[in-house]
Formats: sequence, C-alpha cells, structure tokens
Amino acid sequence: MAKPAALWYLRAMTLPDARISDAELLTRMQSFHWWHSIALRPGLTTLGGKSMEILAQEEDAFLAPFDLTGRSVVDVGAWNGAFSFAAKRRGAARVLATDSYTWNHPVWRGREAFELARAELGLDIEAKMIDPPDITEKLGLFDVVLFLGVFYHLYDPLDVLARMRRITRQLLLVETHQDLTNDARPGMVFYPSDILNQDATNWWGPNPALMLSLLLQLGFTRVFYRDHPTLGRARGVYAAFTPEVEDSLVRGFDSNWLDLDVPGAIEGLLTP
Amino acid sequence: MSEAELRTAVAGHRWLQSLRLRPDLVTPGLKPEAQLKAEEAALFDTLNLKGAHLLEIGAGNGAFSFAALRRGAARVLATDHLAWTLPGSDALSATQWAAHALGAGIEMSPLDPRELTPRFGSFHVVMATACFDQLFNPIQALRGMRSVTERVLLIETLQDGLADARPLMMGHGQVLPIGGPEGSWVFGWGPNLPLMTQLLTDLGFSRVLYRHHPTLGAARGLYAAFLPEAPDGLLEGFHTPWINVTSPQAA
Repeated sequence: MAKPAALWYLRAMTLPDARISDAELLTRMQSFHWWHSIALRPGLTTLGGKSMEILAQEEDAFLAPFDLTGRSVVDVGAWNGAFSFAAKRRGAARVLATDSYTWNHPVWRGREAFELARAELGLDIEAKMIDPPDITEKLGLFDVVLFLGVFYHLYDPLDVLARMRRITRQLLLVETHQDLTNDARPGMVFYPSDILNQDATNWWGPNPALMLSLLLQLGFTRVFYRDHPTLGRARGVYAAFTPEVEDSLVRGFDSNWLDLDVPGAIEGLLTP
Repeated sequence: MSEAELRTAVAGHRWLQSLRLRPDLVTPGLKPEAQLKAEEAALFDTLNLKGAHLLEIGAGNGAFSFAALRRGAARVLATDHLAWTLPGSDALSATQWAAHALGAGIEMSPLDPRELTPRFGSFHVVMATACFDQLFNPIQALRGMRSVTERVLLIETLQDGLADARPLMMGHGQVLPIGGPEGSWVFGWGPNLPLMTQLLTDLGFSRVLYRHHPTLGAARGLYAAFLPEAPDGLLEGFHTPWINVTSPQAA
C-alpha cells in the first residue's frame, strides 16, 4: 500500500490538478466566466467571450512575426492567460502574466480561472497581481512586453504607456481600440461614463498618428502597425522597438505590417 | 545692479515672455507684451487676489506671478518644469534677473506638476498658462494641480478638435527656445471644451467657467474651475464673456 500512496503523492505535487476527472474539470471550468476560450483537454475548452478562432487569428497576428525562443515576456492584462500560454508554447524562456482588474473582479474572478488553466496546461508561467498604473522598473526588464487590449481601458493611458517603455528591453506590442482613424493629425477621443459599447471601463480611443507620436516620444525608434486581424481599423496593433532591439526580432514583420515612421505612412492609412 | 548690468543680462538670455522691466526696457520674449497683458486681465480681473496664496505652474519668465504680486497676492510661488530644468535652459536665470529688476518678492522653484501631492501644501489659487500645450501627460498634471488647489484652478491652454462635440484632445509638437541652443521639441496637446469640462469635473471641481482667449479667440481657451469649498462670492467677478460650462453630471 505504501508505494502507490507515495506515487500518488508525488504525482499530486507535480501535477496538482491532473488527476481530476473530466467531469470535475468541466464543473470547475463552468464555475467561472471566461474571456479566453482555451482548450484545456481534448473536448474540454473554456467557453470564453472571445472564441478560439478569433484568438488563433490574434495569436498569429501578434506573436507569429518574431521568434520568442529564449526570450523573456511579460503579459500586462493577461486575464485568463491565453497570450501568456501562447508565448510559452512558442518557446519563451520566461513568461510573467500580470493583471489586477479582471483578476480581482468579483464576477470575472480572472485569477482563479487563470490558475485553473495554468495548472491544467502545466505551463511554467509566473503570475503577479499588479495594476498597470503601479508597474515600475522593479518588475524587471523584458525582451517583449505584451500590452494587449489595455490602453483604452485606462483613465490615464499616457502614464501607463510610459511605464511600459520602462520595462521594455526590445519590443512593446500594443493592441487597442481606435478612433479618429481618418485623421492624419494625432488625437484621442475620451469616452465619459459608458458611452463606448456600454462599458464604463472604456476611456480613450487614440488614432495611429497619435500612437506613433507617443511611442516615438517615449524613446522607441521604430514603430510598425497593422490593423486588427478580424476587426480591421477599429482596433490597431503596434510593434514598437527600442534602440537595443536585435535584428532577429524585427525581420519577421511581413507585409501585413506598415512602417509608420516614414513619410506618407499615416496618410496612406486614410480612406479617401 | 547697474542699468548696464541689467541690459547685459537681458541681452544674454533667451526670453519666453516680453516683460517690461523699466519704462524703456522690455525683454525680447516669444510672447508679446500686449498678449500677456490681455491674458493677465482676462485671468485676474475676475478675482480679488488680495492676501491670496498663488501657485503658478509653467511660469516661463514669471509674467503672471509678477502680476499676481502687483495685484496683492500675499504669497506667490512661480514654478516651471521643462523651461527651468532642461540642460542648457536659462529661463530660470532670466526670471531671477527679472524678479530682481522688478523688486518682486516671489518664490521660484523648478517643479514637475505631475509630482504635486497634498504634501506640497495648498494654495487658494493655482494657475497654469500654455497648460496642455507643453505637457506630455496633462491628465496627471491636472490631478497634481488639483491636489494642491484650495479654491480655484485657472487654466489657459491651446485648444483643438473644436468641431467635434465629443471630448477629445489632439497632439501638438512645437520647438520652444528652451534647453540647448537649437531649442527643444516639446510634445503637448490641444483639448476641446467638452474634454476640459469633463476632466475638471472628474477631479471634483463643481463649477467650471470658460471664455475664449482675449486676443486669439477659440484657438485658445481660459478655464476657471472652482472646488465646492470655494465661497460663492469668488464667482462674482466672472461676467460675460465667461460662461458656466459645468457638466450636468456635476450638479
């Protein structure tokens, strides 16, 4: 009797939740509201507000252009962790998932949901509860900073973008809701209360000219842009490189991406 | 200080503002004397500054701080950030010369308004001209200014996006004669009236008054934002063209 018990103990330590039945896992999955649809086991996928198909297209658009092998990555606003998991699976040496709002939210309970997915997937990912306005150099310096779907949820996105710069060693990826996209001059729209999509956590809609200005002001030396893979110009994706970026991180950005800091690039995004 | 020394000092500095230091001596500043006088009248004729404690943000060469002192303010603290701290900047030295020449007992201190907290103290009146124009982060700067305001915050700023009814701000870059010999590229913003009203209301100002710039019209705006603690009498001087733009949510 002693041996199986010891074995069970060992397995339980290394794979904490691996022993639960599919039915038990399903029950636990269903106890959360998910934003990311994540396949935890064959046939067992979390029912996220964002579908697996859209997440797959986003992952391809955001992470495929560069090689993550051996890189350090921080995912700011990780929520259920889909992009943290994707970065790890793509070979990142170190991945830190951070969040606060969705992780502490009484309905979303994002931290518990993230922990369930992390344990089930068995991925070696660090997690830290921290609000983006509290992030400082103390968090560390990361080759790649993922800042996806966060900018427009901040009352003061300028402060937080500056904070993102201070933790970026090579590449900052920003994905955000946009507005004023047919204006070549930099600007951003403010949304009081819940006027944008009946969501009171939406504050600002910047345009590409503004994002370029801000990122250059913060000391990024090159900025690439692409439309969101499924939502088009309504949301934009920005890859901002520090002067220290290695060539290998830049090379893979293909023709889906536009070098924004060249004459005529912003004007080229306007629809006549 | 001899007249010759003063004239040498005036000639040896780059001036942001045209200050009349002697009846026949005006500093050759970026902002003309007539515009400064018009702004001073528009901002200060409305308020009784006698005995007031006033903090000026972005004082440049101190024109409005000197004016506040002339108008009876008991304490005036002039501050600036970029123009007084960028390597190669001489605006603080210029302001010290001007204060000396005018015999004006104002305090001067370099200050980034983003770093203001209640620990800094509090002032009856806090004012900032060319406010959004030269701030990378006006959201944070306004919060800082609010934290040290006892009664009223006066803002003069570039405006933009005036054709849009939605609150917004547009980015603006300009080269200012501060920092090194070539000047410095400074990024700032032009907000519109709905945004200013919203941001000030969000900070707890219960009444927000607005008027166009006295000489430049709607291209620039003047705002007077009052905290609930401000006595009603403080608003008495605000006649036309000032209008109450307090957002309905604030009432």
